[in-house]
Amino acid sequence: MLRTIARLLSALNSETKPGQISLAFCFAMIAGLTPLFSLHNLLVLLIVLLLRVNLSTFILGLGLFSGIAYLLDPLFHGIGLAVLTAGALEGLWTALYNTTLFRLEKFNNSIVMGSLLFSVVLFVPLYFISNQMILRYREHVLAWVQKSRIMQAFKATKLYRLYSTYSEFRGTA
Amino acid sequence: MKWVRWQGLIAFVVVVIVVMGVWFFVVDSAIEAVIEKTGTHVVGAKVELEDADLSISPLGLSLTGLQVTNPDEPMSNAVQVDRIALLVEGAKLFRRKVIVKEMTLEGARLNTPRKRSGAISRRPAAAPSVSKRAAGEKFTLPPLGVPNVSEILQREKLRSLELAEALQADLQAEKDQWRKRLAELPDKVKLAAYRERIEKLRSAKGGTRVLGAVKEVMGVQKELRKDLDRIKAGQNALQNNLALFRKRMDEVGDAPLADVHRLKEKYAFSPKGLTNVSRLVFGGKIGKWADTALDWYERLRPVLERSKERKEGHEVVKPVRGKGADVRFKEHQPLPDFLIRIAHVSMEIPAGSIRGQIRNITPDQDVLGVPLTYDFSGEDLTRLRSVKLDGTLNHVDPSSPKDTANFKIRGYQVTDMSLSDSAELPMVLKKATANLKARASLSGETLKANLLAGLQSVEIATRSQDEAGGLVKAMALAVSDIKKFGVEANISGTLKAYDLQLSSDLDRVLKEAVRKQVEAQVTRLEKELQSAISEKVSEPMADIKASLGGLSAISSELTARLNLGNELLKGTKQNGRSGLKLPF
Repeated sequence: MLRTIARLLSALNSETKPGQISLAFCFAMIAGLTPLFSLHNLLVLLIVLLLRVNLSTFILGLGLFSGIAYLLDPLFHGIGLAVLTAGALEGLWTALYNTTLFRLEKFNNSIVMGSLLFSVVLFVPLYFISNQMILRYREHVLAWVQKSRIMQAFKATKLYRLYSTYSEFRGTA
Repeated sequence: MKWVRWQGLIAFVVVVIVVMGVWFFVVDSAIEAVIEKTGTHVVGAKVELEDADLSISPLGLSLTGLQVTNPDEPMSNAVQVDRIALLVEGAKLFRRKVIVKEMTLEGARLNTPRKRSGAISRRPAAAPSVSKRAAGEKFTLPPLGVPNVSEILQREKLRSLELAEALQADLQAEKDQWRKRLAELPDKVKLAAYRERIEKLRSAKGGTRVLGAVKEVMGVQKELRKDLDRIKAGQNALQNNLALFRKRMDEVGDAPLADVHRLKEKYAFSPKGLTNVSRLVFGGKIGKWADTALDWYERLRPVLERSKERKEGHEVVKPVRGKGADVRFKEHQPLPDFLIRIAHVSMEIPAGSIRGQIRNITPDQDVLGVPLTYDFSGEDLTRLRSVKLDGTLNHVDPSSPKDTANFKIRGYQVTDMSLSDSAELPMVLKKATANLKARASLSGETLKANLLAGLQSVEIATRSQDEAGGLVKAMALAVSDIKKFGVEANISGTLKAYDLQLSSDLDRVLKEAVRKQVEAQVTRLEKELQSAISEKVSEPMADIKASLGGLSAISSELTARLNLGNELLKGTKQNGRSGLKLPF
């Protein structure tokens, strides 16, 4: 876990493109907010492994969003139920319901539908917001953080030693 | 920078293979855990499984060593099954339908002992039931001795005594009132004064004086008539009151008999007390069977029907496991989410082996359109010629479910079954051959059940104490002579509150046996009560008679005054209109 955090810090502070980190974070949101053992998460995993996104960010994001998902379940249930019972979409859902692939996806469950819809809608905005935040972090916060007392104290921890070792190894410190 | 890393594809394949490998490695344990957790939640007591084994070809599941704890007795299993084999339709799994083609339960046994308690800390409270009420009812004989009459009379208020005392008080008040009124009415002195005045007027002579006397006599006549009218009115009122008092005296005379009858009914031992012997003897047992059956029915209800609601015209169901709600849409080929098409069950009971089938086990009968049916039978078992159980659990239309059960037992050899733990008259059914037929139906919430049991070649052992009275001995003798009897039980009501009605030949036999003894005892009590009550009422009755005599004397006095006054009036009319001799 510490190693993963160190890798994330390294990525944030390195020349890794912000888009790689943001994309990993957005895919982690889909996989974390929706039930983990869903068919679409297999696709998410394939994309994450196939595209050059930051895997450490994905793993950390997955943990973070999985925790948030428990709190948001009532919201997901509400959204999912409203969408699934919407009269205008009945034809579409009926067609999907009779398809093996979508039955395996369990799209007719209110939490699956609600959480998937929620995360897909937030995917693009979160991507751009994350990009901006990473850029601003590198521009304004990084230097200040390096000098802060908290950072000085942090530099004495095991986590920082790991981070340093990793950065030196990657040559990105 | 290149956005695609092709080695990621290899990583993906590796990850998928690893996940599948792990899944295959842990799936058996996972299935075991799911069954134990879900079963424990449904039953309300520990459900344990020794092993689960998933096979891929043919797709199936084998469960061994299933133990379902009896929630009411955590040290015993309600059901224990050696092996359950399920053959699953694999293709349907891709549509998230668990369709079990065939299930085989081998070595199912009921009420087996457990090594460790299967109780769980949180268990839903059981609904109050008939058997719990019936369990509180013990078979006890009604009090058999002749009650002490003095004690009864000390405890009880006698209506006859109350009536007598009230009458006596009223008579005394009437007497006092008439004494006062008698003084106000014209008495003999006043009537004598009238006579004197009339005599004086008779002696008047000379035309003018005579004419004046005639006028005066007419005046006296008028006064006398007025007084006589007052006496007559008084006498009439007294006669009326006397008639009422005599009537009340007659009522007082009859009241002791009514008191005797009432107290006899209350305190005498009556064979009516024996009408519920069958309820006391069999009520607890039958009630307990009914409660156990209904308790399990309630627990297994989710298997028959799960909660469904409609939202915006769509059926929404709560998944058995997992979160949220599943919305259902119209299927081209409708099938329930879970279905066991046929389950072959081999059940081991102490008498031997019973085999049967259960068809169409699903919580979605409305989707399948066919009800669950079951059919079990066993022949030539130990101490049991045959047993048969069949029925239907029809929830095809969830708004009007109808469940039925038919149960038949023939030639069941009963031995050493305790019928009564009463210290006065313990009864043990030493031997009997029983035939039993039961039918139960549950339509919506309306429960109806009927049980008919016939016991033949009966041998009931009783032991009455040496010091026991004739009544107990008679009952013991009658019970010992019973060679056959029947029991009928009827249950009606709802699942939560039902009533159990029981009747049996035993009631009639016991009533007949004690009838003579009871009659003699009642006669004795009646006599004692009659004599004691008569003695208590005799004194007030004598006082009443005396008071009534006093009122009669007053009446006689009024009659005498009236006669005297009438004679006077008659005397004034003997000559002429005024009764005076006229000179012309």
